Amino acid sequence: MTKNRLKINIGPQHPSTHGVLRLVLELEGEIIKSCEPVIGYLHRGMEKMAENRTYLQYLPIVDRIDYLSGFFNSFAYCNAVENLAQIEVSKRSQYIRVLTMEMNRLSSHLLWLGTFLLDMGATSPLFYTFRDREVILSLFEELTGQRLMYNYYTFGGLRHDVSDDWLDKVGDFVKIMPKKIQDYEDIITNNPIFTTRTKNIGVLSKNSTLQYSITGPNLRATGIRVDYRNSKQETGNKEHNSHGLGYLVYPELDFEIPTAKTGDSFDRYKVRVEEMKVCLKLISQCIDWLKSNTGEIISPIKQHLLKVPEGEFISNVEAPRGVCSCYVKSDGSGNPYRVKWRTGSFYAVQILPKLLENTFYPDLMAIFGSLDVILPEVDR
Amino acid sequence: MMKKSLKPFRDIIALALGHLTVFKHVFKRPVTLEYPEKKLPLNDNFRGEHALVVDNEGKLLCTACGTCQRVCPSFETIEIEKEKNESGKFYPKNYTIDLNKCIFCGNCVQYCPFGAIIMTKEYELADEKKSALKLDINTLKKNYSDSIIKKTVKSKR
Ligand code: SF4
Ligand code: SF4
Repeated sequence: MTKNRLKINIGPQHPSTHGVLRLVLELEGEIIKSCEPVIGYLHRGMEKMAENRTYLQYLPIVDRIDYLSGFFNSFAYCNAVENLAQIEVSKRSQYIRVLTMEMNRLSSHLLWLGTFLLDMGATSPLFYTFRDREVILSLFEELTGQRLMYNYYTFGGLRHDVSDDWLDKVGDFVKIMPKKIQDYEDIITNNPIFTTRTKNIGVLSKNSTLQYSITGPNLRATGIRVDYRNSKQETGNKEHNSHGLGYLVYPELDFEIPTAKTGDSFDRYKVRVEEMKVCLKLISQCIDWLKSNTGEIISPIKQHLLKVPEGEFISNVEAPRGVCSCYVKSDGSGNPYRVKWRTGSFYAVQILPKLLENTFYPDLMAIFGSLDVILPEVDR
Repeated sequence: MMKKSLKPFRDIIALALGHLTVFKHVFKRPVTLEYPEKKLPLNDNFRGEHALVVDNEGKLLCTACGTCQRVCPSFETIEIEKEKNESGKFYPKNYTIDLNKCIFCGNCVQYCPFGAIIMTKEYELADEKKSALKLDINTLKKNYSDSIIKKTVKSKR
């Protein structure tokens, strides 16, 4: 280290690290010369935990991998087990899964939007996004019994059906939400302070996103239209996306996948805001279907006696922070032999050294915030 | 590309629009609640403190079958002491739930074959002693009668 280089430590207990992340920075004046993320402060042994629990006992725990989008983790795990044990999932269950997951994505993006702007010093949007997120969380509480740790999916179905009353409430929420999103955009999108701090800052190139396996909105902000919900992909790398495309009933639904061009912080913001609108569109389609169709929800299989035949399966889900994959290997007994998780945030943290090199120190949190990293998901 | 000379004006308009949107909220009703004084109503599905169902004759529905232990993701949270009564049926002599370990997942309630355990709407569980969170059979019974009085019992699906 030369004389005028300063080594400083950010975190692990830092309000803007969205959990406990430690960044070791080397500064030259205000310019970041190197950055080394130190992860692992939130490690809970999620993967090892599966090995001495039955399939059902592990199910409530997976919600805690990413506590802001528990439904996605739950679905990734359920989907893997269902495929291994060849359990059918009824159409209605699938629609409810899509509905709950899209609401979950919306709530997750809302929280991101509020905290991202808080990182940059804007306080009002935080209250507005939390107000709207609260509506979703109360709806989830009504449906599942808890606000974040849902434990609502079971193997082959759901715990219980949604009521028409609940669907009406979701419908009301979907009706008022576009106006709220317009409010956020009025406050944020053209704000000169926001644009100067985000436009052309923290630019992720197409190449480096692919090299670092970045997925989700961070990837789509660079202009690559890869989304596991969509069965028709526009990507060169075919074997990379060999299975799991267009899962559940997504191929039957009408939605587009928003992308942007440059891959800077502003584009990541834009993609996420557009994605919120897509969520609303999907939610209203699901409500329409669910209101006009009935079906069986509760799976006839005995959940707590479930034995899964030998085999392995990877299920991929497009979670709010990138592709969430769950690998389950079974040895034929009642406990999984091995469970492995791949979560989007982990890769977003790995690219930080490259992304932060030669940027200004005050931009650090603006760039880090725009990646939408959540630390429990990184450490598992 | 936007003309350079126009940029300040656009910025001012954008800022004004933003401030106007924020200002609109001044006249709206507050969405927050002064928590300890006022509380949000909870719905019937809420997963709070446990209770053991007691029937009209004052007997527990639980047969000490142990399913709840087997589905619980957290080990040694539920402990059951099983005993036979005169008519040869099993009943729990003692039944403890350790809320220190419980993650409130609701598996025990969902998979109990007799509907013998429920979750009430009680969620303010902070206490000075850890041992206060170890609910024994009497507390669990009392929780049930309390929840009926307060009408906070979870409806059966
Ligand atoms: S509470 Fe239900 S599952 Fe648990 S031992 Fe009693 S009867 Fe069995
Ligand atoms: S709620 Fe879950 S963790 Fe708590 S006792 Fe029941 S099964 Fe165990």
